[in-house]
Amino acid sequence: MIPLAVTVDITYTWSQALADLSQIAPIVALTVFLLFAIVVDLALPKSRRGDAVAMVAAVGYVLSLATSAYRWTYGNGGPAYRGYATGDKFALFFEILFAALGILTLAVSHSYLKRRRFVAGEFHVLILAAIIGMMVLASATSLVTAFLGLELLSISLYIVCGYARGDTRSQESAAKYLLVGGFASAFVLYGMALIYGGTGTTLLPGIAQALHASTSNNPLILLGIVLMGVGFAFKISAAPFHMWTPDVYQGAPIPVTAFMSVGTKAAGFAMIIRIFAGGLPHLAPEWQVLLAFVAATSMIVGNLMAIVQSSLKRLLAYSGVAQAGYVLIGVIAGGQNGLAAVLFYLFVYMFMNFGAFAVVTMLAGPEGDRDRLSDLDGLYRRSPLLAILMTVFMLSLAGFPPFVGFFGKLFLFTAGVSAGYTWLVVLAVLMSVVSVYYYVRVLIPVWSSTARTDKLESSVSGTMAIVLSGVLSLALGLYPTTVLIASQLGVPTSFFGP
Amino acid sequence: MTLTILWLLPLIAGALVAFMPARVSKLMSAITAIVTLGIAAGVALVFDPSAHQYQFTEIVPWVPQLSIFYHLGVDGISIWLVVLNAFLTVIAVLATPVTMKNANRFLGLILAMSAGLAGVFLAVDLVLFYVFWEAMLIPAYFLLWLFGEDEDQPGRAATKFVLYTLAGSLLMLVGVIGEYVATGAKTFDLATLATIPPTASIQFGLFFVFALAFAIKTPLFPFHSWLPDAYRAAPTPMLITFAGVMGKAGAYGFLRIAIPLFPHPVLWWDWRWVIPVLAVAAIIWGALMALAQRDMKMLVAYSSVSHMGFIVLGIFAFNVQGQQGAVLQMVNHGIIVPALFLLVAWIADRTGTRDRSALAGLAPRMPVMAGVSVIVVLAALGLPGLNSFVGEFMTLLGAWQRAPVLAILGAIGLVLAPVYMLRFFQGTFQGEPIDNRPMHDIYTGQLVLLSPLVLLMFVLGIYPYLLTQLMSALGQTGLAR
Repeated sequence: MIPLAVTVDITYTWSQALADLSQIAPIVALTVFLLFAIVVDLALPKSRRGDAVAMVAAVGYVLSLATSAYRWTYGNGGPAYRGYATGDKFALFFEILFAALGILTLAVSHSYLKRRRFVAGEFHVLILAAIIGMMVLASATSLVTAFLGLELLSISLYIVCGYARGDTRSQESAAKYLLVGGFASAFVLYGMALIYGGTGTTLLPGIAQALHASTSNNPLILLGIVLMGVGFAFKISAAPFHMWTPDVYQGAPIPVTAFMSVGTKAAGFAMIIRIFAGGLPHLAPEWQVLLAFVAATSMIVGNLMAIVQSSLKRLLAYSGVAQAGYVLIGVIAGGQNGLAAVLFYLFVYMFMNFGAFAVVTMLAGPEGDRDRLSDLDGLYRRSPLLAILMTVFMLSLAGFPPFVGFFGKLFLFTAGVSAGYTWLVVLAVLMSVVSVYYYVRVLIPVWSSTARTDKLESSVSGTMAIVLSGVLSLALGLYPTTVLIASQLGVPTSFFGP
Repeated sequence: MTLTILWLLPLIAGALVAFMPARVSKLMSAITAIVTLGIAAGVALVFDPSAHQYQFTEIVPWVPQLSIFYHLGVDGISIWLVVLNAFLTVIAVLATPVTMKNANRFLGLILAMSAGLAGVFLAVDLVLFYVFWEAMLIPAYFLLWLFGEDEDQPGRAATKFVLYTLAGSLLMLVGVIGEYVATGAKTFDLATLATIPPTASIQFGLFFVFALAFAIKTPLFPFHSWLPDAYRAAPTPMLITFAGVMGKAGAYGFLRIAIPLFPHPVLWWDWRWVIPVLAVAAIIWGALMALAQRDMKMLVAYSSVSHMGFIVLGIFAFNVQGQQGAVLQMVNHGIIVPALFLLVAWIADRTGTRDRSALAGLAPRMPVMAGVSVIVVLAALGLPGLNSFVGEFMTLLGAWQRAPVLAILGAIGLVLAPVYMLRFFQGTFQGEPIDNRPMHDIYTGQLVLLSPLVLLMFVLGIYPYLLTQLMSALGQTGLAR
């Protein structure tokens, strides 16, 4: 029934090559600059490498962002490379997100690397590579391409997690992430292999077609879904597969943590939506049950564990676990509203969560990260601006209107209730009450009158990134319509279920 | 635009004054508050009582995908709360001492809270209402926490208050979404939603989550335990709007949302009977607790629980007398409670204690203070001729028409009120003085600050029609059921 010998058409014309390249233009742009950055890093004298590579990376991100935005407005997105990748609006939405994240990460990490005397060049190159991996993931329409992106992303991150070589916790973080990440990748790959075995193709539209045609439930496919679900849950750090998150987040240098907390999560969700909603819409009841379980556990575990943390990185790690649970509600609800809510939330989550981490980055000194809650003592005396912005980020993460976190949750919950998952929404809401407790706990030292004497880093680029995140966290809350429209456009109609 | 100014002006001014020097800040805050009051009063004067609909409406699409509108409007109920809020904001700003630490931040937060409260009363869209409802928690939280008088555990009362309120209001978010989904009309417009109630079983669930949020905010027995801590910690200028207006937001929510949107939430249990019973329990429990307090501030706090019980009882009488009385009583209580808190703070300021049993015979040394206090105390216990009497009488009349037993039990609160109020007055001002320390009588500034409140106690006591005439719309808008 599955043809063993497939005749392959090997003709490939220039015009087709150009058309394919233009479909993945944002990735191409970034790849060119990645190669250029490596050359610059090799060619220039040591003292000037860091700044030069940062400059190259900055131009690359901006160009990639501009390309994505251009293609979003004028481009004609469609399949490329014989259906293995695509340049549709879903991919572009995430490419815009990742390019913006790259700019924010660069702005925040630049001064941080100098302060901690890290080698800057390689850091930027690795982050570039990770972002390319994320973009590949977002534009993958085949299991193979998806895995390619996943590995590029993961391997780059394994290295940057251990970037503080002298710090044992950073080493521990890298080792843990490598082991657990390897496991997760293996799970995903095994799942993909089973799906391939069951359907005979790795192309997602082909898988959807094959499953549509078959009437009986193939145990191979179901097992594949479970294995992939487990792997994805690892990647988005959803409970009960979140154990690595706090340790890895705590050990990694803060800009890396900030980058991972937003980027890996968004990439993971892009993969989940692409594969589950795009490739397996006919098995929705099966993976919905699985994801509903994961979402419920994440919300409970993440929120309850965050209460007792005294390290900001760990607190935000657990908060990220909980947030993954909220976002999963949108995936489970599905349809245009549910998936648009997911895209919206991931986009705005970038600003509020990255902003919070960026504030912690500014606290870091030359000897290491200062991420205990008490390190925030009297922040408002040391820097009123940072204190106000930190308040904005925490209130937004907690879901207080008029900040954007509120609308993110409103859209997710509305989709959840509309799809009949009221119990999940009620659970999310109850857990949100718990979350307010620990988000507010972060604010207590910020506004306390006992001030620390640590010198605060004054970094123009870092401050600008934080201010931008803060302003957007408020502005998008006051006017969420534009981003919501973009999120709705970003969901292909083929994802709306059978 | 008029209604937008009512909340936007204090908000912008609040953000600005927070960074000004204390004196300038107070001046600017006072000007803002007075201008806002002027506009609110203007709206009330122009308001047309014969038109039974929302007036001064402003409607702008906000999130068209979910048909969320920025939709403001006032009717015969909300207009009074808007005016009350603007009025008490003026008093609160004027009552804030410039010498207070970080007075500019304090004033900024007071104005921001007042803006949030105004928004709650003005919003006619369910999501907009929710946004203001939640947003006003932020300044309230920071006020309670950064300026709280709770030295040993700073922030505890604030956190407790926020978590309590959020537990209710986040569940209300499920209710807001549920109402949107269950009615099937894809709208958050309150007036439209009132015409299309969902099925009885869904109404039951939605009523439950909304009522819980409002009961916590009001607060209704047995959800009141955040109140003593919060009121103990709150600085007096904050209490003027916090106790005077924010509690009314809960009662207003019952009247504006819970009752019109869910006309028959009967399934296993008739909630339309449960809430009045809780209200009666609040009346009696609050009064009994007030009796037991030695701390005068706590006495007023618990008396507030008791009085809020009357308001909720009136709302759930489901008739025009009861609901008009409730709105009237919201305004009355909003005038009396700030006056009581101010007096207690001033007495404590002079004597150094809030313990009423440690005080006696202050009247000869502070004759004017005693004179003012007796008026406020008499108003609080519901003496005919002063404002509270009319409101309480109307709520009890409404309750009697619904079920006499409610009115009879509620009247116990009326019996207990003179006991704790007069004990407070007699204990502190009358009797043999404990010592003969000279004490300054009420300052002229303080008297001026209090005089509009006292004046209103007389005016509304003698001529309550001033307020009730605009409420004639109540019976027709489908609110009274």
